[in-house]
Amino acid sequence: MTALLDVDELSVGFRTRAGTVQALSRASVTVAPGELLLVVGESGSGKTVLAHSLLRLLPRNVDVSGSIRLGGEDVLALKPDALRRMRGRRMALIPQSPASSLNPVRKLGGQLLEAAQARGLTERDARRRLRELLAELGLDLDFISGRYVHQLSGGMQQRIVNAMALVGDPDIVIADEPTSGLDSDLVDTTATQPREISARGASLLVITHDLRLAQRLGGHLALLYASRIVEVGPTAAFFKAPAHPYGRELLRALPEREGKSIPGLSPELTALPDHCAFADRCPDRFDRCTEAVPDLYPAADGVLARCFAHVER
Amino acid sequence: MLSADAVTKTFGSGAGRVIAVEHVTLQLRAGARLGLVGPSGSGKSTLAQIMALLLAPDDGVVSVDGTRVAVCGVRCDRELRHRVQLVWQSPRMAVDPRLRVGDAIVEPLAASGLLPAGRAERRALIAVWAARVGLTHDLVERFPHEVSEGQLQRACLARALIVNPRYLICDELSSMLDVSTQAALLEVIAAAQDERELGVMLITHDRTLASAWCEQTVDISDLTAGRDLEDVSDTPATARSGALGRQVCSRPQRSMQP
Amino acid sequence: MRVAAGVLGLLVVAALLANVIAPLDDTAVDLDRVLNGPSAAHLMGTDEVGRDLATRVLHGMRVSLTIAVLAALAAVAFGTLVGAVAGTMGGRVDTVVMRFTDVAASQNHLLFGILLVVLFRPALGGAGAVMLAIGLTHWPSLARIVRGELMSVRERPFISASVGGGASRWRLARRHYLPHLMPAVGLAFVLTVPHAIFHESAYSFLGLGLPAHQASLGNILNDGQRSLLAGGWWIALFPGLAILVAAMTIGTLAEYWREHLHPRWRSELEL
Repeated sequence: MTALLDVDELSVGFRTRAGTVQALSRASVTVAPGELLLVVGESGSGKTVLAHSLLRLLPRNVDVSGSIRLGGEDVLALKPDALRRMRGRRMALIPQSPASSLNPVRKLGGQLLEAAQARGLTERDARRRLRELLAELGLDLDFISGRYVHQLSGGMQQRIVNAMALVGDPDIVIADEPTSGLDSDLVDTTATQPREISARGASLLVITHDLRLAQRLGGHLALLYASRIVEVGPTAAFFKAPAHPYGRELLRALPEREGKSIPGLSPELTALPDHCAFADRCPDRFDRCTEAVPDLYPAADGVLARCFAHVER
Repeated sequence: MLSADAVTKTFGSGAGRVIAVEHVTLQLRAGARLGLVGPSGSGKSTLAQIMALLLAPDDGVVSVDGTRVAVCGVRCDRELRHRVQLVWQSPRMAVDPRLRVGDAIVEPLAASGLLPAGRAERRALIAVWAARVGLTHDLVERFPHEVSEGQLQRACLARALIVNPRYLICDELSSMLDVSTQAALLEVIAAAQDERELGVMLITHDRTLASAWCEQTVDISDLTAGRDLEDVSDTPATARSGALGRQVCSRPQRSMQP
Repeated sequence: MRVAAGVLGLLVVAALLANVIAPLDDTAVDLDRVLNGPSAAHLMGTDEVGRDLATRVLHGMRVSLTIAVLAALAAVAFGTLVGAVAGTMGGRVDTVVMRFTDVAASQNHLLFGILLVVLFRPALGGAGAVMLAIGLTHWPSLARIVRGELMSVRERPFISASVGGGASRWRLARRHYLPHLMPAVGLAFVLTVPHAIFHESAYSFLGLGLPAHQASLGNILNDGQRSLLAGGWWIALFPGLAILVAAMTIGTLAEYWREHLHPRWRSELEL
């Protein structure tokens, strides 16, 4: 099956006065059409940067290398016009905290319409499409149109932002931290909405630090640590038997399991070691771990892990 | 025991009036682990601030170890203020961006005239607390914007514990953080509980966390309208509309902004 | 930025040392040398009664800068006070105070200022009246800024955290509110100085400020206007340039200062 999205050796570094902050190091992931991919990691691990890179929403002081192919086209090489057309119509972003990505002093009807028209729909088509979409999401366009953001609950705001992302019928939707500010009950229903209701079976990429959400959503999972992808594989396999020590320790920290924290702190992105970044906190560390950076090795069926422990197999 | 008795708090007036907390009665015993759950917008943060003596209720009484608290905020007795400490959801908003992390940790002592005068002693004190929460010594020299959320929250926890409180209220302490940091923070709190009979109220929307870590969990909507404290930790998590369903939401609730 | 600082520094030093470095007595009338253009003996030429313009400009710079700084200080002090009262007390006090501020803000600076100068000149003298006039016309925007900053800072959790830690009102004001206000207040002060320079020049130009024989940039400009028809372009040019340069350098410094004050703003510029 040809991949819809193919990220190959993507590296992103921010140039700052304190040195280069290596936010992402040689990340490679693929997303098939209609697939659900979860990008999991703590804040600062590079997951938001990965999401933003896909849409080229990065500030000016970045060094980017590698490639991002959407349906064969290299996103990084797109000219501004083509880039604008791609954003929203082929790849859409649902940003963190919906309330802050909606204009607080403007009625929602206008905002939704503007979003739809920006994606190339005529006013009439936009209204029709929005009405359909919102109805599928359980909202009424007329009820929403005359209201302001703060008059609606968090769940409704999330669904509106979902609608804005879907109105252009994108091939892939990226949801950035859909859990922020929402209760666990609400998150379940709103997080998978984009994929469920997408008429074209859009793929969904969910960025999150919430492991429980990840487990409920299923699909595939890519675990990030200190700018590197350390494990990739089916989500179910990860929760049953994580292949990378960081993954294992992370699951142990869940309160319903052992609630045991991982000693130490994550490494600074300005000073990444040139060996396995998790080595100094890893309970299974051995000599080779402090000598070089491991590649992604096959650990089990369909699972890759960036750990020398899997080389012997 | 830290208790709130029939506490009510309303924001705004007229048509835009929002009843954030309505007639809530709640007790936190020393050494206890109490979980407070409820949907967003249900008044948990407002209740937290009232019980932490930072916000005066419109009605009802807050008592700390039997002492009725007459005034809140800056006019409240310092010793009482120290007895109840609060940790906020967003560490970035809860720390003065002009202070270095180490200075932020000892700020309550400085504010109360309890900080040792000598630089060396101060450094040593900061170092002790930094180690206790898992911060390395180079991090305490930095400014808040130079450290991560998780590291900053550790500093906020140290700041709360440094005045030796009897009660600690955590308002969504770790909802923005990864599991490992959450576990680390809870480990520090548990250690503090062992040392000094600290009563902890964990406010969270994560019911799994509450049922795993707390001895007793309460839903805020069960506490309103004068009902007594119920133990609902066995009740399966069902969607509760909380006070949101009863309120006219035509103005944002200040204290509940994320 | 360095250029601006350097130039301003030079101006300030020159102004301060006016008495020392001025080559000639600024009231020395020399009717032989009336309306001479710039030359080796008189770097900026002479005015219509033969006074050395360079000397007058230097003295004028000193006078103008002094008045401007003091006036700006007055505006800032009053504005901060009003803003602080409104910001901390809130409620009705806030409403009343801000309405009063709105009324003051809606006055036309120049016209109202002229009225004030004329009213207070007998009592306070030219310079004093000008300072008061500038002070009383420029405080409203600062009051608004201070009030806004205060209200936003008060809401932040770290203030509550400080209160929870045992801080007193005084400590909050000193350690938290004031440092947070400083960037805005400082900036406002520095930006008011050029305004004040312009206003002082305007009042003096109109003959309302300082007495004519006392050199202030405005007074010299006034003289220059009269001499233009006689061909004395330099009399208007040099003081005008001085005003412009002073205002520009102060403005540049203000920008730089603001970027430097807040640690967080500093880093946001980097990333």
